[in-house]
Amino acid sequence: MFISAPDISLPRGVTDFLPDSAARINRIESEIRRVFRLWGFRRIITPKLEYEDVMSIGMAEELKGKTYRFDDRQTGKLLALPPDITPQIARIVATRLKNFPLPHRICYSGRVLRQTETQAGQNREIFQSGVELIGLDSPEADAEMVAMAIEILTTLNINDFKVDLGHVEFCRAILSDSGLSGKPLADIRIALSHKDRCAVEKIAIEAGLSDEVKREIMLLPRLFGGREVLGLAESSIRSGRALDALRNLKETVHILDIHGVGDYLTIDLGEMRGLDYHTGITFESFIPGLGEPVCSGGRYDRLMGMYGFPAPATGLTFNVLNLLQAIERAPEYGRFLNTDFLLLNMREEKREALEIARILRSRNYSVARDIIRRPVEDSIDYARWMQIGFMLLIDRKPGIYEVVRVSDGLRKSFSREELDGDNFLTFIKS
Amino acid sequence: MNDIITIAIPKGRILEESVSLFSRIGIDCRELLEDSRKLIFENSEQKMRYMIVRATDVPTYVEYGCADMGIVGRDTLMEQERDLYEPLDLKFGYCRMIVAEPANLAGNDDPCLWSHIRVATKYPRVTEKWFASRGIQVEVIKLYGSIELAPLVGLSERIVDLVSTGETLKQNGLVEVETISEITARLVVNRASLKIKQKKITEIIHDLENILQDNQKINR
Repeated sequence: MFISAPDISLPRGVTDFLPDSAARINRIESEIRRVFRLWGFRRIITPKLEYEDVMSIGMAEELKGKTYRFDDRQTGKLLALPPDITPQIARIVATRLKNFPLPHRICYSGRVLRQTETQAGQNREIFQSGVELIGLDSPEADAEMVAMAIEILTTLNINDFKVDLGHVEFCRAILSDSGLSGKPLADIRIALSHKDRCAVEKIAIEAGLSDEVKREIMLLPRLFGGREVLGLAESSIRSGRALDALRNLKETVHILDIHGVGDYLTIDLGEMRGLDYHTGITFESFIPGLGEPVCSGGRYDRLMGMYGFPAPATGLTFNVLNLLQAIERAPEYGRFLNTDFLLLNMREEKREALEIARILRSRNYSVARDIIRRPVEDSIDYARWMQIGFMLLIDRKPGIYEVVRVSDGLRKSFSREELDGDNFLTFIKS
Repeated sequence: MNDIITIAIPKGRILEESVSLFSRIGIDCRELLEDSRKLIFENSEQKMRYMIVRATDVPTYVEYGCADMGIVGRDTLMEQERDLYEPLDLKFGYCRMIVAEPANLAGNDDPCLWSHIRVATKYPRVTEKWFASRGIQVEVIKLYGSIELAPLVGLSERIVDLVSTGETLKQNGLVEVETISEITARLVVNRASLKIKQKKITEIIHDLENILQDNQKINR
């Protein structure tokens, strides 16, 4: 039997978010933005369309093939839907903000589109909230990114996460000192990204690397773990540039200890996954049971220069949908009630109902009116379905309101004056 | 929950070898070998959990984080190209992925002259890539079993398949013309798990690595 496809389907890799999920996304994004603001970052809103050639100046190689592109009828040029917001910020800073004093603390929150293979579960639309810190090259700036990421995750009540720190120059230095090039270099990068030590060894032997170089390269797939990794690397690696990178990383870790977030850190010196515009400290944050990171970031000191405004920079970005997945899996995170009150008026007269609604709203409660005429029980069912917390009935008796707790049907009457009192507050907080 | 390690293992030969390998690093999971329909086993004392899944599903469970680690043949990993760590070659389950064709065709056939050819296989992605890297256009026919049959009945001229002894090929009048890759069982690890349960996973990898190195010395 064939399953006939409905003719109102949605393309793969995009999602409709219904009120429940949308409320969670909203909560996550506003928490992230709140912390960004507390650290002095100011929001920029970037356009959804750019010229493809302008975007691609600063686009990471692996994202170029994932960009949605099409012709602009007005100019005949190629347009792109940005797959990454960082190059847009770089363009804006290099043009519109170039006469401002440094550093820039900029944040953004938006959606980008990326082409993916049709494999199940891959999102084509990615919700990104992130920051760029432009004009600072000190480890303190790198540490600021990591500390802020940790603050956001703890603010969202996520506590069992780790932030994995690396330094792209470490691997790069050892690989470039090895003299490998062409296919063996490409192959060894893939093997390193899988931490496949056997494959690394095989390629090193086939390429005829000296024992010393081979020994260093073969350490890379195992240089991950806690602080002990830093010491191990220091005592066993000889490349000067790699040791510089290591010193830079140690300094950053030291500052993060002062921030008081050292316990969240793990170290991975063999990580090859940063975007190719990264130049220094990189990091990714992981939550148990989710293979993809919820947050990633790192230093990119050459990107600004590509737009004609050389400046050191670092940044981070949260993948909001990955956070949503982590939060939806954990029931202890609590439910988000969409609406506080459903107001049901049993009288012909409307003045009182509208007035009560206004009073409740002025106290910051959300109030929806059940305008349909139907039995009270049906309204309670509706409220339960819509996850509304309470029903407020305006009955025949003037000045007396019955409040129903939707979760268990418990009823209590309040006079108009009592809506200001403690009894009412205790009841609706319960 | 956070300190239990979950391992996905496929049934069959890989399961037996895995159980004996784990027992050598002090992880006792012999109960997996009992004739049972249970799909999940928990050893709360050792804080280990085992899932019995199909070989081709191992990378999926591990990538999505339902399992922290898995054991799977390299053929499956090559075909699926998942984003996983593959820290160890476990050295068992050895076989080869090869291109084969009927003996009478092989007599005067030169792989350098192939242009548009038809290939039956369980591994369409690997096949496509293998031939594309050499500039050969290929029409891939995906089959789910008994690949050797395809050239005998004219479904395709050639096949890409696994061989260990070569006996099946021989009995069906096929000969091997090229080796694509050597295949062994691999330990795969979920990216987040490696960071979050780092201590225990590193310990397992380290212990297994020592055992495997000892084995190699004995074999020499």
